[in-house]
Amino acid sequence: MPKLDIPNAKDDELVRAAQKGKMEPYEELVHRHRDKIYARAFSMMRNEDEALDLSQEAWVKGWQRLKQFKHNASFTTWMTRICINLCLDYLRKKKRRQTDSLEQMEEEAGGVERRMPIEEYNPTETVEREELREQIDVALAKLSYEHRTVLILHEFQTLEYKEIAKAMHCSIGTVMSRLFYARRRLANLLIRLKKERRI
Amino acid sequence: MKQEDRLNIQAWLDGEISPQKAAQITDLVEANPAAQAVAEELKAVECVLKIGEKPVLLDETRDFYWGQIERQINAEEPIPAAAEHPGPIPESTGSLMRWLIPVGSLAAISALMINFGNVNLADPVQPIDEEVIPSTSGLTQPVAVMEEENAEAGVGVFSFEGIQGSRNFHDPEDSSALPESIENPER
Repeated sequence: MPKLDIPNAKDDELVRAAQKGKMEPYEELVHRHRDKIYARAFSMMRNEDEALDLSQEAWVKGWQRLKQFKHNASFTTWMTRICINLCLDYLRKKKRRQTDSLEQMEEEAGGVERRMPIEEYNPTETVEREELREQIDVALAKLSYEHRTVLILHEFQTLEYKEIAKAMHCSIGTVMSRLFYARRRLANLLIRLKKERRI
Repeated sequence: MKQEDRLNIQAWLDGEISPQKAAQITDLVEANPAAQAVAEELKAVECVLKIGEKPVLLDETRDFYWGQIERQINAEEPIPAAAEHPGPIPESTGSLMRWLIPVGSLAAISALMINFGNVNLADPVQPIDEEVIPSTSGLTQPVAVMEEENAEAGVGVFSFEGIQGSRNFHDPEDSSALPESIENPER
């Protein structure tokens, strides 16, 4: 059997070699996709240290469960799901430790967005692409973890309602409600950021 | 407008609604300006998020990042050579043996006593305390003494051999050849 050319091998070839217990191909996979996994952990946690720890934990879990990977989805999709699940578990435990403030409870129910009038938001108007990304990042950071997570899973991971409900251990109705208020809050935050920029 | 209608408009835009219900929502959005405003706002947010997330890059070097992962993997990995080299006995096996050794010893002693009972019946003249195990067995002590010792220790050679199965220990009485849990069942 020819020796695997690790730096030039495809992900699938590296995964199959790693599934036989070889660590070198797995190290290459980590190197190739570590930024993506870290970025997802960071987008959910909004904390560099926690994101670093959780992304590394995801890679450890990935190695331990590698034989369960059936090549139905891409390796990065599979790894991202492991990372998301670890982040969700961590956030759940963290939240359990915190006492829910009145503000948090209100945000769960929709918060001020429920009472806000709908404002017209034109995202492309005079805002550069990079600047808009920056604004989205700032706005996402201001959302509660439930609202941010539901948006990330739906918009960036393109998960369906039922998949989000399963991942977040809640009902589809809760997902719909959280997604609605997350979008409304995001729209209002972006409008506010745009106004601040004009000033 | 009801909150339920707002959520249905959102589900309609996300393609998460049945075709029958979708027709109803289409009618609602066309006829109701408030419903139309909700739909427009949701579409705008969806549009802006299509631009994507701000790229985030990891600061750590390749070696440092992987080194920490590798250490954790190795720390949690079971020892693969365990089957080839009889090292420390796993905890579950150890606890099982803690029970099996005394029970096995008792069974062996009982079997011996029954056997000697039969011998006594056949030869009632020979007293029990002078009975000697045949030299082929490797044991030369009088049975009464051996039984007493086994009763005190709670560990018998017979049970050990029975449990170990295919493992071949050259001298079953040599304590250095025994795993820790056999030497000291209290562990």
